[in-house]
Amino acid sequence: MKKVNKKTFMLLMAVLCTVMLFGCSGTTDNSKEKTSTPDSSSEEIKEKQEKQVQTITIWHSADATIADTLQKQVDSLNPDVNVKFERKENMAESLKLVGNDPESAPDMYLWAHDKVGVFAEMGILSPITDFIGEEETKALIPMTLEAGKYDGQNYQLPIYYEALLFMYNKALVKEVPKTTDELLQRMKSETKDGHYVFVEQHSTSYCSAPWIQGFQGYIINESKTPGLDLPETIQALEYHKEFVPYMPADGEYNTVTTLFTEGKSEFAIGGPWLVPGLKEAKVDLGIASMPVLPNGNPLKPFSGVQGIHVLKHVGENKKGAVASVLKVLVKPEVGIALAEAANCAPANVRAYDNVAISENEMIMALREMAENVVPMPNVPEMDVMWGITDELLASINKNNGNVAEECRRCQKMALEQIEAMH
Amino acid sequence: MDRRKGYTHWIYLVPFLIFIIMTVLIPLIYTFYVSFTNMSVYHWTNYKFIGLKNYYKALLTVDSGFLSALFRTLLWTALNIILLVFFAFVIALGLNSPELRFKNIYKTLLIFPWAMPAYVTILLWRMGMFNTEFGFLNQLIRKAGWQPINFLSTDVYAFLSCMIINLWLGIPYMFTMIDAAMQSIDRGIYENAYMEGAGFWRVHVFITAPMIAPILTPILIMTAFTNFKQFDIVYLMTMQTGSKTGANIHTLITYVYDKAFVTSNYGYSAAVTGIISLIIIILYMGMQKIARSKVN
Repeated sequence: MKKVNKKTFMLLMAVLCTVMLFGCSGTTDNSKEKTSTPDSSSEEIKEKQEKQVQTITIWHSADATIADTLQKQVDSLNPDVNVKFERKENMAESLKLVGNDPESAPDMYLWAHDKVGVFAEMGILSPITDFIGEEETKALIPMTLEAGKYDGQNYQLPIYYEALLFMYNKALVKEVPKTTDELLQRMKSETKDGHYVFVEQHSTSYCSAPWIQGFQGYIINESKTPGLDLPETIQALEYHKEFVPYMPADGEYNTVTTLFTEGKSEFAIGGPWLVPGLKEAKVDLGIASMPVLPNGNPLKPFSGVQGIHVLKHVGENKKGAVASVLKVLVKPEVGIALAEAANCAPANVRAYDNVAISENEMIMALREMAENVVPMPNVPEMDVMWGITDELLASINKNNGNVAEECRRCQKMALEQIEAMH
Repeated sequence: MDRRKGYTHWIYLVPFLIFIIMTVLIPLIYTFYVSFTNMSVYHWTNYKFIGLKNYYKALLTVDSGFLSALFRTLLWTALNIILLVFFAFVIALGLNSPELRFKNIYKTLLIFPWAMPAYVTILLWRMGMFNTEFGFLNQLIRKAGWQPINFLSTDVYAFLSCMIINLWLGIPYMFTMIDAAMQSIDRGIYENAYMEGAGFWRVHVFITAPMIAPILTPILIMTAFTNFKQFDIVYLMTMQTGSKTGANIHTLITYVYDKAFVTSNYGYSAAVTGIISLIIIILYMGMQKIARSKVN
């Protein structure tokens, strides 16, 4: 019995070893195996290879509705080009790991523009101008095209964009304030007993950027210089701090969203992603123009432009297929379909001629804002700025820190961390 | 026969050794190698050997912030170990009471926090208990007519809040171990002690505690290092990107994460990791030495 057990154990170990070793070997593409069968004639091989070249894989981490809508649009390229949208979790990390590996990387990916700088510096992106001409992109909103530019090259074909919106509950609001001063007066006089006039995530970089940018300050500019200690930024944060005592102390996403959804706040600044939940909760949602600051500028939120990026490894072999996919996705019909299916604001201006879109309050608000929004910085240095700016805002708004001192401290920290990146 | 015996156990170990080499040793060697290069976003494919520059840069992070994070981590570890052992010991004593009925039900309920994913537990506590608007604690405070407290924005409150969650997550494991250790004690010893007039606390302080100490020593060392390497509770409660609370309760790991890992400078991050690992190894050796001398 003992011997049998021993033999069985040895056998199991051998199987386990074999499985582990085979598990470590690279995956085998069946289609490639087929092309290398000795029976195939060279013409068949060539034909099959050509067919293989026509398969385009696009990674995404978007909502299923958006991916399905885009998939339907590119399905029109069948059978010449077979495009597959594949959902990928942790896409940034995956692209860092396999972006240069033709065996594992996708041909393209759909994502916001703010990582363009990182991937361009890593050398995994091709400029979209290698595949599509200016003629095809001239109908795109200039802001959306600018968003994907890094170091003089354009790495993204914009599809749709998002930005924070000034939302209000029509059931609670009679008149929408035009200026931030009016809003502040109402907050001071009407905020009490768990009822708020206005809520926002006051201590996050993304949500405070509209105030900073409205005062002509910035978090980081194109030349990778942080602007936390600029007089404009300090002025913006001092002014913004006046609003904070009349908002929930933690200013967290869940708190802000719940208060607005439950009708405990009249106004909120939030993204378009809140809209489906608000509609489900039957909030009578209104969207107004961003209120105007004392300097005459409206609040200027960040825009996040979602678009298609092409991986460098794609090379010449698939150039035609990639170009045909981009040419389909740049069409206004794609924007219209996305707007209808998922309330997305199209990057193509021609899409706004569509009647259904022109009647969509949220999308038209985003269209109006397109001239005022600031694309999120796409330089790699922005990765360190998010955390540092959050820390700055938390120390000012939650711990009552001195604005100028905290701005200087965080600017120093930002410069140190940016230096550490190199 | 003897020679066969000499290598057979190695054959049995081969699959696991391969697994350890692939998942631990190779990444470790690679990290060590990367720490001597300038691999970063800017040198992703064209990185080169730069000697000890990253270590020099990493040592510059040993500033006042680093030292206060180190002190805070030691305080965190000590307080948590003491409280974990105390509460777990008391619970285990209660569960070992001969008169107690439905012991298994209590044990199952008490183990529940351990079974929940820590990430979910932490976020539930953050929103459900400590939130300024909807948190249970602030609802009670409001009902009492006081102003709500932003538990997570001041250092002391945030530190205590994180510690409560750590205890909530850690006590089930500790009480299970203490309970198991208690099962190994001969009941006759207690009967003799009671017959000789020893009281409840005297019995457990002078009999139970010393008898379970050798079993608990490795568990305490492991728990000490789990606490020393604390990241998730402190990070998710106070430092999550987009939800920073304003409290500065950095532990050693959150501090170096904040300083090094967000920079996408992989050579530098690897060097920082090396230095932290060295600190942990030194502390581990020290604790083992102390533990061994105590047990002896």
